[in-house]
Amino acid sequence: MSGHQHTRPYLGFGLGLRPDHYETVLHSRPAVDWFEVLTENYLVPGGKPLHYLHSIREHYPMVMHGVSLSIGSTDPLDIAYLRRVKALAESIEAEWISDHLCWTGINGKNLHDLLPLPYTEEAIRHVVDSVSRVQDILGRQLLLENVSSYISYVDSVMTEWEFLSAVAERADCLILLDINNVYVSAFNHEFDPRSYLDQVPVERVRQFHLAGHRNLGHCIVDTHDAPVIDPVWELYAHAVRRFGEVSTMIERDDKIPPFKELLAELDHARRIASNVRAEVAA
Amino acid sequence: MSVLQRLQADFQDYIVDLERRMAGNVVGTAKASAAQRLDIYAEAYRQRLVEALGKNFPGLAAWLGERAFDRLGVAYLDNHPSTHFSIRHFGHALSRFLATDAPYRERPALAEMAAFEWALAGAFDAADSPCLSVDDLGIIAPAQWPVMRFRLCHSVRRLDLRSNVPAIWQAIDRNETPPPPRAQKTPLAWIVWRQDLKTWFRSLAVHEAWALDAAMAGEPFAAICEGLCEWAAAEHVAAEAAGLLKRWISDGMIMQFEWSR
Ligand SMILES: [Fe+2]
Repeated sequence: MSGHQHTRPYLGFGLGLRPDHYETVLHSRPAVDWFEVLTENYLVPGGKPLHYLHSIREHYPMVMHGVSLSIGSTDPLDIAYLRRVKALAESIEAEWISDHLCWTGINGKNLHDLLPLPYTEEAIRHVVDSVSRVQDILGRQLLLENVSSYISYVDSVMTEWEFLSAVAERADCLILLDINNVYVSAFNHEFDPRSYLDQVPVERVRQFHLAGHRNLGHCIVDTHDAPVIDPVWELYAHAVRRFGEVSTMIERDDKIPPFKELLAELDHARRIASNVRAEVAA
Repeated sequence: MSVLQRLQADFQDYIVDLERRMAGNVVGTAKASAAQRLDIYAEAYRQRLVEALGKNFPGLAAWLGERAFDRLGVAYLDNHPSTHFSIRHFGHALSRFLATDAPYRERPALAEMAAFEWALAGAFDAADSPCLSVDDLGIIAPAQWPVMRFRLCHSVRRLDLRSNVPAIWQAIDRNETPPPPRAQKTPLAWIVWRQDLKTWFRSLAVHEAWALDAAMAGEPFAAICEGLCEWAAAEHVAAEAAGLLKRWISDGMIMQFEWSR
């Protein structure tokens, strides 16, 4: 295994913090190593969201995960939004801040979707420039997540993993690798998900996402409303073999089950990771 | 316009306006055509935003029923696409849209329901305010009373409603059958606010509504007493005003007393 695992900050196994589970988390203090919180949900003046955020923060480390940075949009960056993100990160001492390698709208509109970028030199240059400015404002490195996609652009001249790697290297940012999204995009665009993982630079990856999805037959849609499927678990094992110890969490945003079901799913991830470690050590 | 800008404009036009130009920029495969692939985004867009609107206006959604609310959601989305970083903000103009757009304007209670729910949502995550307690009134010297002004907590929202939407909302919230909509000629005053983490609402008598509006506008206690003479005998207005003030304080609506502007 690579030596990077010793220098990469590692939080263990986490879950997404959702309002349905605030009370359970606060009162039963489940065995979760950390929580990922959705940035925009806490960019509010006060009330319950911030109350629970700060109460739960007293017991768990947190990372922030945003959906509205729109780093690839040709619209100008929203500086006021970024300042608020920074202030929130300071107030909860977030371990890191992530968003997506995508765009969410132009001409002032927010479609609230994670739209893919064309894999072109022009797009790389545009994103690299924006990431540099974002990192200057935030005063820290940003994690960018690979999104699932349903289209590929005629204009694209490279693979998604080449695009992702080039952005990370040239902008000197980090990667949140969503294993399910790799699986979804591999299905939709008919490539081998393992060769994707095998070509992402190991030292750039700071966090993994796992999630469930919905298979429509002609496409897989990234819904986060179901348990992780076996082929994605297998891909996760492959990722652990390559990347070593990476903070891992499961995303569930719809049809949210009782907390203990998510804990059981997280334990499954723990078992896979420790099996891989045992296998590598042998 | 750069190549990237043009692509994003075409893609957004496909999603928002269902303009087909983008299909030429997308690879179709045996598995799924370019249009099928783009339609996943276009359909998800409407579904996601209408669903978010339903979360921000649960009473209105339940009251209208799924199909009518979907129609409203799409019509609203076409007129007021989201421009905010948070989907929580989607629907800020819904009440106005319902009040002015056909066919919704024929049923004014719909716009009132939206205004009421937007006030609830606003109170829910308004800034926390340190509130005064009734004991704080004890330390005010008699000479300070007439010139005392009031800062209300950030969560306080004032509405005037002609229809019984709060009762309808409450029944829906409790999973009970809502009463039939009723409207009256003169609107009834309501306040929505949050005390600690709990959101409240109640109606106000005409004199209380007037006094609260005056307090919110920065009028001093003496002016509020004077105004209350319209509803009470002069020798009782000071006690009446003090009584209202005590209630506002114990409800957690007053943040601060102020003596100069
Ligand atoms: Fe993800």
